[in-house]
Amino acid sequence: MNNDELNFAESLLHIFNNVLLTEEKALSKGYFSDLSIAELHTINAIGPYGSRTMSETASLLGITTGTLTVAIDRLVKKKYVERKRDEKDRRIVRIFLSKQGKLAYRIHSKFHSLLVKRIMEPLNSEEQALLSQMVGNIDQFVSEQYEKYSDEERYKQIIGKPQRGKLGGKENV
Amino acid sequence: MSDVITDQVSDSDNGNPRERMEPDEITKMKDRIYDDIIGMVTDMLAISPTDIHPETTMIDDLGLDSLQMYEMVIDLEGAYDIRIPDESLEKVTMVKDVVDLVYQLTTLN
Repeated sequence: MNNDELNFAESLLHIFNNVLLTEEKALSKGYFSDLSIAELHTINAIGPYGSRTMSETASLLGITTGTLTVAIDRLVKKKYVERKRDEKDRRIVRIFLSKQGKLAYRIHSKFHSLLVKRIMEPLNSEEQALLSQMVGNIDQFVSEQYEKYSDEERYKQIIGKPQRGKLGGKENV
Repeated sequence: MSDVITDQVSDSDNGNPRERMEPDEITKMKDRIYDDIIGMVTDMLAISPTDIHPETTMIDDLGLDSLQMYEMVIDLEGAYDIRIPDESLEKVTMVKDVVDLVYQLTTLN
């Protein structure tokens, strides 16, 4: 990697770590100090309007329904989430945010919108569009890598050994 | 309250379901929204309804913080089956602005 690439890699890692750390610090000092970042992301995945099934929410978060059940139990206990049976199909459990959960969602969204506003404000509209496009490309690339490794996990579960590239060697990143 | 808020229904309402409403229906609806807001704010801050007027500002006069503001927003969303985006909240200063916003979003539905 040349210097520019090294700086870029370092900045990416800093952004990733600092956003999480800042969120965590803001949470611990604020009104919702009883929530962890993972719980807040679960609240975000449920969303402030309407309800979701457990499997929909688990799929949005990229976790199993078993893992989600544990997280939801905790959020129900803390009064951020409520459960109810689907009126049409009683076998389905639907989850939705309580008023407290909706408040946490909105405050967290405000954190995100302030962050974006601060980054975008000094830029003109062309620069904003360009930055948005470039960040979108990074997001797409990272998501593709995530999908690839998720497939790898699934493949390991079925076959019991790592997935290989077409040539039978190490998989390409 | 009515005289303050009804005069804000303008020609820009053309093409909107609102234009089918009679002026006194609009007044009644805005009065209902105003009363609901007064109820929510007085419950939240434990103050008298007489302390609030349409021109009362939400932050400077009432001292609502962002959490209390969102609490009211969530209650209004539930009561009127609307979605109030953050961007529209940025334009809200006075109680009558909240009334107008809820009225607009309700009649757009």
